[in-house]
Amino acid sequence: MAEATTLSNYETEDTQKDKYLTFHLAGEDYGIEIQYVIEIIGIQNITDVPDMPDFIRGVINLRGKVIPIMDVRARFGLEARAYDERTCIIVVNIDTTEVGLVVDEVSEVADIPEADVEPAPKTSKNNDDNYIQGMGKINNDVKILLNINKLLFSGEMLDLIEKTED
Amino acid sequence: MSTPIDDDQIEIIQEFVTESRDMIEQLEPAIIELGQDSDPEIINSIFRLFHSMKGSAGFLEFDHMTRVAHAAENLLDLIRNGEISLVPDHVTLLCAACDFAKEALDMVENDYIDDAMVTPADEISVRLHDAIEVAKGGGKTDEAPAAEASEPAPEEPAKQSASPILDPNALPAIEITDEMRLSFVQESNELLQNTEQGLLEWGDNIGDIDFISDIFRNVHSFKGNCGFFGYSHLEKLGHQMENVLDRAKAGSKLAVENPADQLLASLDVLQRGVNNISDGKDDTVENLDQHLMDLQKLIAPLLGDFLVDEGVTEQAISKAVETQKKPVGEILVEQGSASTVQVTTALKKQQETINKSKAAAKPAVRTKTPAKRQDIRVELGKLDSLINLIGELVIAENMLIHNPDLKGLELENFNKAGQHMSKLVRELQEMAMTIRMIPVSGLFRRMIRLVHDISVKAGKKVELVLIGEETEIDKTVIETITDPLVHLLRNSLDHGLEPPDERLAAGKGEKGTITLSARHEEGEVWVTIEDNGRGLNKERILEKALANGIIEASEIDDLTDKQINNMIFAPGFSTAEKITDISGRGVGMDVVKKNLEKIKGKIDVYSTPGEGSKIILRIPLTLAIIDGMIVRVGSATCIVPTLSMLEAYRPAMDQITITPDGDELAKVRENFLPVIRLHEILGKKPDSSNLDDGILIVLEYQDTRFCLFIDEILGQQQTVIKGLSNYIGNIAGVSGCTILGDGNVCLILDVGTLIESAENKKRKYEAQQELILKGGIRG
Repeated sequence: MAEATTLSNYETEDTQKDKYLTFHLAGEDYGIEIQYVIEIIGIQNITDVPDMPDFIRGVINLRGKVIPIMDVRARFGLEARAYDERTCIIVVNIDTTEVGLVVDEVSEVADIPEADVEPAPKTSKNNDDNYIQGMGKINNDVKILLNINKLLFSGEMLDLIEKTED
Repeated sequence: MSTPIDDDQIEIIQEFVTESRDMIEQLEPAIIELGQDSDPEIINSIFRLFHSMKGSAGFLEFDHMTRVAHAAENLLDLIRNGEISLVPDHVTLLCAACDFAKEALDMVENDYIDDAMVTPADEISVRLHDAIEVAKGGGKTDEAPAAEASEPAPEEPAKQSASPILDPNALPAIEITDEMRLSFVQESNELLQNTEQGLLEWGDNIGDIDFISDIFRNVHSFKGNCGFFGYSHLEKLGHQMENVLDRAKAGSKLAVENPADQLLASLDVLQRGVNNISDGKDDTVENLDQHLMDLQKLIAPLLGDFLVDEGVTEQAISKAVETQKKPVGEILVEQGSASTVQVTTALKKQQETINKSKAAAKPAVRTKTPAKRQDIRVELGKLDSLINLIGELVIAENMLIHNPDLKGLELENFNKAGQHMSKLVRELQEMAMTIRMIPVSGLFRRMIRLVHDISVKAGKKVELVLIGEETEIDKTVIETITDPLVHLLRNSLDHGLEPPDERLAAGKGEKGTITLSARHEEGEVWVTIEDNGRGLNKERILEKALANGIIEASEIDDLTDKQINNMIFAPGFSTAEKITDISGRGVGMDVVKKNLEKIKGKIDVYSTPGEGSKIILRIPLTLAIIDGMIVRVGSATCIVPTLSMLEAYRPAMDQITITPDGDELAKVRENFLPVIRLHEILGKKPDSSNLDDGILIVLEYQDTRFCLFIDEILGQQQTVIKGLSNYIGNIAGVSGCTILGDGNVCLILDVGTLIESAENKKRKYEAQQELILKGGIRG
């Protein structure tokens, strides 16, 4: 039994390695590691929650679970855009925290081997706030690979969580 | 243990650990009580607890625990017999023994052995032995007066509780004490249980001599005990059962193939008798003769009796019985002592009688005597998922009954069925909630030990009064408030209560009182810690708050007593001049507040200088489900807990007063209540911002009332509270959310923090206005 579990764990890890879910956002292609992705759903009725930073759009009901929704456009400070039928919510799970990410359009699951990932460019911006994990190359295309942890928990969100904990 | 530990053993050990922990929980308060009042009943109960612990530990070969429990038992036995008298040291020692047992249990739980406890076990046993020696020796130590009062201990070793029963050489005129009777009942229950177990398996073990012998032994011991105690009815019945079993053991035929049913019926009679005895009644068994007859019928008549009738000599028969390998009749024929005809006739007669007996013995209907109370241990996780499922069920039910597809349809039968289902779901829910509820007595009783220990350490005299122990609270809530209670009690003891001389100087009794009570109030459970000490020192609190930067000097005049009292919950706040090992680091009260917030509880502090202080922990009765009113403002819907709603009305403009500060006040009968606009809190656009276009709901929280301005009330619904994701954290004004019939998430308003939230909004708004104003001037 124990052996079987380890094996299957090993297998799942192996099959998920180097795989990224890619999506469109304001003309750019982004990717997030597939291991964090639980499911992709269409845009739903979002309930507002007061006193939240503007990129937290509210909460939705996902089969009885209440999940907060983050608008990635707003998170990056990009111009807002009305949701349409292509707008998707990517539900990610990181350390049992489930969050839905609103993106313009989901494209595909791409295989980007480690060798094809360039380190994130150093920018003049605050490094702690850098959500970019690396730049993935597929042929001539470049995907911006996001660090989910930073995306979810750095910057304003961190302040909010700390405030709550105090 | 010599054998490798398998799963079964682990299970037994875990059971043992849980049971022993329960026991220790009972032990501690009892020991402390003993220190105050050496009632023989208390000594007995403590003795019993140690005795059972010793027994179980011995069975599982936890030798060190057994040793300590045994030593404690010895000491208690001597005290109980009046051979030595109780001194405070003994109480401390017994507490130490409890502590040891706790530690050992922790170890056993992890490692399944207690070998590592050898040193502490030695130490404690030696201390216990010393205590016995000292007390026996009389006058060797400071406890001389106490020891002198007792008679010198006789040489005979301490008797075990069970020994008087099993020892047939005991004095014939022995007086049966309550304690002995209790032991008898305990042992009898065990024996009867074993017997029952055996009888139930009878069918699977027909002809197994060892198996029957086992049952026989149990019944035999029981009979013996009854005889010793003079319970003649039970003894007679037990004896008759023994006869039947003896016959079965010897391998001879019984009148029925399976006598177990009849035996079980008799066993039930015995059990009833034992229950009567435990209730303090006598052992009279109704219809004893009938029961004896029933059993007699089981014993098949011997073939020999019939053979004698046929003219066969008794000697010949007994000779034949000696060689009873073959059927008796056959042997007799072989030996020529009887003719074939004789034997056949005898056999026929035997068969007839057996048949008759069978017919008579059959109708023995088993009436099971119910055991007093039955508990099963259930893993908490399972219970939690059950309750979660029921929560989901409530949501599903709401989604079904309030389904948008049904809107506008006339569905009489559907509505009837729906109502029925709602009722059932509600009952199911209530039942499920009560499963999790446990009385606070366990928690309260644990505090007895704590108060005792601290009062000894702090050199204060204190009496702990417990009220409302039977009040039931959710198990997780009890776990959450344990730490807060400990801190609050410590504080009361350490800071609140004065030392005896100070109390006397203040004209109070030397002994301080701490009252710990629990009761239901306003849909909450209130746990109150009240002391009659010196009360909170307001000046010192203010001084400290200033020093810690919690408040500004200018604010002091505006503070209410309540606000000042609440400052003790600020992190790092302590007015104690010195840090003792009991309290004073200023961590405790902060934890108290945090833990209570976790369960949505509130704390009220009341204090009268010189007379004492009172802290009330207000805990919501249920954490999971509330009745709520769905309200709408603009595009947003929210739920307001019905419990805090007083009334709702559409205001007329002349009922509204606007203060020069811009605060709106609504006149509700003779009171002016502040108006909070929900749309401002939610940041929504209302249908109309004119108060007379919407509805005002009067809400009450604790002693504060206010009006909430909304667009309309949509309906009432029972709601399951779900936490907003941890990711979002706590939001002022919102206690959680729920899922509505249409599948949308709906926020539940937290009446307590709404006011706060509204005030914050206002302050923020004013600050903004000020900035704009300043900017305007500068510009």
